Amino acid sequence: MLPPAIEIDRIAKRYADHVAVRELSLTVPAGAVYGLLGPNGAGKTTTIRMMLDIIAPDQGSIRLFGHPHNAPGVSDRVGYLPEERGLYRKMQVRRALRFLAALKGVRREVADRRIDAWLDRLELRTPAKDWGAAKVDELSRGMQQKVQFIGTLLHDPDLVILDEPFSGLDPINTQALKDTIVELKRSGKTVIFSTHVMDHAERLCDGVCIIARGEKVLDGSMAQVREEHGGRTVALALDGGSANGVAEVLGDRALVERVDDSNRWFEIELAPGADPQLLLRRLIERGAAIQRFELVQPSLHQIFLQRVGAAPTEVRGDA
Amino acid sequence: MRRFGAVFAREYLERVRTRWFIIATVFGPILLSALIVLPAILGTRAARQTRLGETVILDATGTELGARVAAAIADPSRSEPLTDVRRVTAGGLAQAEAEATAAVMAQDRRGYLVLDERTMAGLTTRYAGRDATSPPMMERLERALSDAVLSLRLENEGLSVDQVESVTRVRPRLQAEQITDRGRGGSGMASFLLAFVVALYLYAAIILYGQNVLRGVMEEKQTRVAEVVLSSVSANTLLAGKVLGVGAVGLTQLLVWTVSGVAIYRLREPLMATMGMSAPAAMTLPDVSLLVWVVYLAYFVLGFLFYAALFAAVGAMVGSEQEAQQAAQPVMLLIVASVVFMQPVLLDPAGGLARTMTTLPFSSPILMPMRLSMVPVPPGELAASLVVLAASCVAALWLSARIYRVGILMYGKRASLREVARWVRYA
Repeated sequence: MLPPAIEIDRIAKRYADHVAVRELSLTVPAGAVYGLLGPNGAGKTTTIRMMLDIIAPDQGSIRLFGHPHNAPGVSDRVGYLPEERGLYRKMQVRRALRFLAALKGVRREVADRRIDAWLDRLELRTPAKDWGAAKVDELSRGMQQKVQFIGTLLHDPDLVILDEPFSGLDPINTQALKDTIVELKRSGKTVIFSTHVMDHAERLCDGVCIIARGEKVLDGSMAQVREEHGGRTVALALDGGSANGVAEVLGDRALVERVDDSNRWFEIELAPGADPQLLLRRLIERGAAIQRFELVQPSLHQIFLQRVGAAPTEVRGDA
Repeated sequence: MRRFGAVFAREYLERVRTRWFIIATVFGPILLSALIVLPAILGTRAARQTRLGETVILDATGTELGARVAAAIADPSRSEPLTDVRRVTAGGLAQAEAEATAAVMAQDRRGYLVLDERTMAGLTTRYAGRDATSPPMMERLERALSDAVLSLRLENEGLSVDQVESVTRVRPRLQAEQITDRGRGGSGMASFLLAFVVALYLYAAIILYGQNVLRGVMEEKQTRVAEVVLSSVSANTLLAGKVLGVGAVGLTQLLVWTVSGVAIYRLREPLMATMGMSAPAAMTLPDVSLLVWVVYLAYFVLGFLFYAALFAAVGAMVGSEQEAQQAAQPVMLLIVASVVFMQPVLLDPAGGLARTMTTLPFSSPILMPMRLSMVPVPPGELAASLVVLAASCVAALWLSARIYRVGILMYGKRASLREVARWVRYA
């Protein structure tokens, strides 16, 4: 049995005027795709930076592949794509990539071979034009993102850490990134990415950790998380929109904890101890024309709102 | 070490590869040789342009004066038409002048010179021509005239031509030589020049490459490359690789310039001969021992490290080019202050002010090498200056590394001094 790719034990990071991360522990099994979810300013980036030994935690320990995260050679097995992306603007693309590979100890010939393969694969090198020979600032934003992504994977890392990888990507590149993440998982790599878009996490992740205000709200495998939150959510669709009486029923706090009106249907979170059958009866009594009434597994989005949305979130741009 | 190598190599190669560096490195020596050769070329050109041979001399003195002046202003190296000497009577002078004026207007002649009794009396002589405003030509003409009048007068007093020749030949040329504790040490002018060049080079190099470090740090911060790099190397390694990489670029340039400068100096006579010029007055290089060169190098390296550390800290503190200019001002002020004190130190290189300024770490890298090339510096003072500078370097690098480690990951507005102080404490 492989040691977990990441084991974080009660780490914390305090700054002078706020606490970015407090007492955070989590475990990411090897070979998993793992989502680090949280609102802006929850401490995702700080957590990631601590994993990468870019900043040191005030307390706690981090182990990667069973070794302390700052042990020699460990960082060579990790690939990192930061949220704010950029490369040396005046540098030739190929040289910039070679430099990133050299930092990870990849030999020049190996690096060159991989760079060519990646440039071909991401269509940055075609018979008409070799963007590898261009300077970074001659590339479009989308192309620069691809180059940076290549830089993350050039040394064939066992653990790939992506901070908000989907932000700013067009649908085509988003799909390409999803495909690559799946492919990395198939070849036995561990991928952890942060996002606040629940849909991406829901589709890709084997496990998730939701953090807010620097603290872990929940974590576990996707199935486990949904299981824990199942049976309390009702999908309700009405014919002809909601009548007045329906709003009254849904506003009953003894029955309904929260309603998310998604226009075509309502996603209803039941109040603790409330009986879904009672809700159905009350709705019919009020003359609602029901198209759909279904006990569903809550979406990650719902779980997120339920667990995080209750309290106001601290919003800071730099955390 | 491997990672330091990668950072160092990138910093070095990316800079050495730029067009700017290649141009500056190649053109530096060319500019230097131009500085040596150009005055000679210009001097020769100016002399050639005063083609006094094309002048008409209207001689109304009835003596040999016209012919003597003509011989004195003739350029022996050029086969110009001989100066036209016309003997005229006092009455025919007006007519001859009118003709000469017409010839000058028709561009047949450059001008004409009138010699008469007033010339012989040593009072005035008239010249009219197209180049009447050219000082070198008028100077030459005046000297030829006074020589000719003098020798003619001496001959009239009964001296022979040879006697006159030997009496009037006085061409003193001042050659100043520097004397130091170690004895004669080349020409004073050369020491002064070397001191000036060394100080100026150090000043320019420190500003240029120091700001290069600042821009490099700022670029990594702005483009957020720093974050990727820092996931592979420590902040200290990145800072060290950057500072030393940029410093190596400066050293490379210095090396190319020194080698080509010495080569040009050694080969100046054949070089100038191929251009058809005689070498300028031999200027002996000041007696600079190898040890002194090593000391120059030490000041360059330490001075660069000191200022590069400060500039790197500034780069890590700021978020934009404009902020950088503002924040770099205190550092620039330190360098400029050293230059302000250049003149007093040049004038009194052994005085109290010079001793103070060559001990303070911010000015010693520029002023000590200058002082050293002018006067001998007591070994104790030199050692003290080097120790102070080296210690300041360590302090600046330590401080800078702490600011850098935190600042490089802080995005947004420029950090206040209080925040920076906190970074230093916590890092």
